[in-house]
Amino acid sequence: MTPDDDGRLAAIFHHGAADASDALAKWLGRPAAVSVERFDTLPIAEAAAVMGSSATLICSCAMRIDGAIGGLLLLAADDDAGLSLADTLLERPAGTSTSWGDLERSAVVETANIVGCAYLNAICAALGPAGTAGILPSPPVFLRDFPEAVMEGVLMEQPELSDIVLLARTEFRIDGAPIDCGLVFLPDAASVAALLPAIRAPEGRP
Amino acid sequence: MTQADVPPTTTRPGDSIAIGQIGIARGGGVLRTFVGSCVGLVLHARSQQAAGLAHVMLPASNGRGSPPGKYADTAVAETLRLLREATGEPALACTAKLVGGATMFAFQSGTPIGEQNVLALERILGELGIPITGRLCGGRHGRRLTVDVVTGAVTVETAGHGTETLAS
Repeated sequence: MTPDDDGRLAAIFHHGAADASDALAKWLGRPAAVSVERFDTLPIAEAAAVMGSSATLICSCAMRIDGAIGGLLLLAADDDAGLSLADTLLERPAGTSTSWGDLERSAVVETANIVGCAYLNAICAALGPAGTAGILPSPPVFLRDFPEAVMEGVLMEQPELSDIVLLARTEFRIDGAPIDCGLVFLPDAASVAALLPAIRAPEGRP
Repeated sequence: MTQADVPPTTTRPGDSIAIGQIGIARGGGVLRTFVGSCVGLVLHARSQQAAGLAHVMLPASNGRGSPPGKYADTAVAETLRLLREATGEPALACTAKLVGGATMFAFQSGTPIGEQNVLALERILGELGIPITGRLCGGRHGRRLTVDVVTGAVTVETAGHGTETLAS
């Protein structure tokens, strides 16, 4: 990929983040924003460490994405942020949720589904003709685990593992305040190869 | 990835060993890593108080082999070579422990990659006559493992499921 390709891809992912912001705000019923924090190509060892290297467990939801753009989408948050998100969605006073029961898990899984699909659908739309097939997401899978193990699990789900991976990371703000929660999208190697002609074509540019 | 970009084969004792890397230490200290679907391959030479830990990601190199710690076939050979080099013992007697190989998300069909990693390592170690004296593999959760370089004991914390020790 050239620096120009990086810039074009980043612009497309910004489109995705804008639609994800709208979806998150509607879902939560309060001001919320999703923005692209980082857009990197990383060696696999560094990619595995992007969530940090800690013995403190995080909560996460992963979805396998097929269609015009394939890969793995991950919503990950530290426990406090994840449980706070659950309180908001369940219309409970802040601090009510203290552990991961079925309701709390369901709230986070639905957030991953709604925000993640809005994000990727907007990316497909910005691809022009190459994106018309849309996306086909799997049901989200909830996992509470070590951050490195979660990222390793996502990386290992790639059909063709390459030594370098492309990662798009976002950050969340709710009521104007940042929360320790984000989306990571890891397009698979075939999708990256298919994206390049699309983003270079004038009709595919945002 | 060029050769210059390949992660170092060895790390400082105590550092977490990243995917595809191999850590070697002798005479004291610990080696650590986190694994999910990957497998932590521990080789321990009791007489020399030396240990190697490889963070193995895939079952077979299929001719690629770089970094050597990434693939089961090259990781065993390279960890042995580094241990021999560190101890100065060309005929080193080792035991092995295996940790990891979990199925974290299981979106792909067929034999999970973690299980393939474990099977490949078991086969290769068997062919080399290296006994496997402990294993904690499979399941659906990540693990944090810490290797005591002198004793070869491996402490394994499974996410949300407590801590166990694979004795030396």
